[in-house]
Amino acid sequence: MTHKEHEHAHAHIGPATYYKIFAALMVLMFLTVGAWWVETVVEIPRALGVFIALVIASTKTVLIVLFFMHIKVSSRVVQLYAIAALFGLLFLFVITMGDYIARGWPPQLGPLP
Amino acid sequence: MATTALPGHNYLQDDASTVGAWFKSWFLTVDHKRIALLYLLSINVFFLLGGLAATVIRVELITPQGDLLSADLYNRAFTLHGIIMVFFFLIPGTPAVLGNFLVPLMIGARDMAFPRLNLFSWYLYMAGGLFALTAAIFGGVDTGWTFYTPFSSTYANSNVILTIAGAFIMGFSSIATGVNFIVTIHTMRAPGMTWFRLPLFIWSSYATSLIIVLATPVVGITLLLVAIERIWGVGIFDPALGGDPLLFQHLFWFYSHPAVYIMILPGFGVISELIAAFSRKRVFGYEFIAFSSMAIALLGFLVWGHHMFVSGQSVYAGLVFSFLTMLVAIPSAIKIFNWTATLYKGSISYRTPMLYALGFMGLFVIGGLTGIFLGIVAIDIHVTDTYFVVAHFHYVMVGGAIMAYLGGIHYWWPKMTGRMYSEVWGGISALIIFVGFNMTFFPQFVVGYLGMPRRYHVYPEEFQVLHVLSSAGATILAIGFIIPIIYLTLSLWTGKEAGNNPWDATGLEWQVSSPPPTHNFLEIPVVTTEAYAYAPDAAEQDAANWRPGSPL
Repeated sequence: MTHKEHEHAHAHIGPATYYKIFAALMVLMFLTVGAWWVETVVEIPRALGVFIALVIASTKTVLIVLFFMHIKVSSRVVQLYAIAALFGLLFLFVITMGDYIARGWPPQLGPLP
Repeated sequence: MATTALPGHNYLQDDASTVGAWFKSWFLTVDHKRIALLYLLSINVFFLLGGLAATVIRVELITPQGDLLSADLYNRAFTLHGIIMVFFFLIPGTPAVLGNFLVPLMIGARDMAFPRLNLFSWYLYMAGGLFALTAAIFGGVDTGWTFYTPFSSTYANSNVILTIAGAFIMGFSSIATGVNFIVTIHTMRAPGMTWFRLPLFIWSSYATSLIIVLATPVVGITLLLVAIERIWGVGIFDPALGGDPLLFQHLFWFYSHPAVYIMILPGFGVISELIAAFSRKRVFGYEFIAFSSMAIALLGFLVWGHHMFVSGQSVYAGLVFSFLTMLVAIPSAIKIFNWTATLYKGSISYRTPMLYALGFMGLFVIGGLTGIFLGIVAIDIHVTDTYFVVAHFHYVMVGGAIMAYLGGIHYWWPKMTGRMYSEVWGGISALIIFVGFNMTFFPQFVVGYLGMPRRYHVYPEEFQVLHVLSSAGATILAIGFIIPIIYLTLSLWTGKEAGNNPWDATGLEWQVSSPPPTHNFLEIPVVTTEAYAYAPDAAEQDAANWRPGSPL
């Protein structure tokens, strides 16, 4: 391990950043609840609602992974493993959804609930 | 062969003066070798319990009528067999026992990266096992080891939650072991131990850990969702509640198919070590075998849908999964061909571990090739849920994983204990296991192809001959498993002292005393040679030195 990498592996995140991330997560939580509330009041396409909810949830996940789980200041190998986990998730979602989309639902059943 | 007295200071020796101190020295140990022995004992106990359940199944199947067990009890018996063997024997087996013992020794480290986490993983394993056994004692579970929904989440009246809790906790034990291996291999290699000087067992352990860390959380969450649906009636998998049962199968097999490679990949690593040591040659195509382990780990994540060809999965998805399944055959074949090429012009000695390795190669080829049959949608639809599938995965799991586990135990037993076992009994039991195994499971290919469904305890009379043959084979197999327990235990007192390197093998673990010192290496070794650096003329020298009466 080179000197630079060594320093990199031991870099840390200060309390101020933790509080900022915590505040951002709280804001995102209110956004989640707010989006749900908006969906009950205003007529928006269901797919759009799901998309917005997923964007907010993904943002929260990224913040937690980068800062609370220290991936941002971790070594390259740890970052690689985090990315590998994302790829695993991608395989799971893409292939499973591939099955759902290609399954050929009988038209008389109507759209998915 | 050099023989020396057992070294004065080794990891088995105790300075404990009281019983309490002795307990503490074992049950609070952070020595990877002692933890490996704790795993060895506990995993073998689970293996015997799983074997007991198998015995009940085979006795029931001797007659076409259900005269020993009711249908319900039979369901509970095969579920117990499956759960114990999969979650508490095959998945942790080779990594937790041989991996824990060998990874630091092979890479020239004094312990694992996280010794306390290592001990914690054993406690988690025991806690998971306790849950599963408690469930078994209080009536068992009747879902099969796969916990298919909505039966498991809504309709089953057995101890589903307790059993699921056991598997869930055991999953964390696996993850702890996997993380420990990855960090240890990345950060604690001795100077000069480059990635391409690592023994192939380390490569396979690394690939296994990768799967464990990436896949196990998925099954953990899935089992939790089953529990949530069962306890609170939240509709996730049950169509009556608005859920989708196939979602469970996708999530379950996303873990459980890679889990097959968790069981067999460490076995591949063991076989590479054995073939090299007993052919006196460097493994042919070292890099190809190393990368084929990584390829299997990766491809293993893409093929889970071949367990779902008849489930109602889209036929297009089925075709893609079928195609991807064929790809797994490539790295598997690379291994088999390269091991065969290693044997070519080697100085092969038929010591007990090598008998297991050769048995493995034959049986794994049958298990693997029938896997290709089953990966083809048309054949799979014909034999889905028949004994053909049962025979296939037992050829991979017993003929592959257990043969490799036993081969590994016999190969490193002198290192673990400092004692040799009876070579005669070793050879006899390896042959008994080979014969018993084939007699048990080969008839199952035939009876399955003829239409005998799995998980049934009543069957048409025309199948009885094949079932009796199978049960008779299981008796022989059981004897073959019991004999090593006896002679290995006896060897602790009566075995010859092994010396540091009884097989004249290469590798850092053979350079330390047997049993190794507590901290493995008095001085951290500096590695200057590749793995399996046998002299080019080792085979010729062996042949010239052989005398009548020497071991074959």
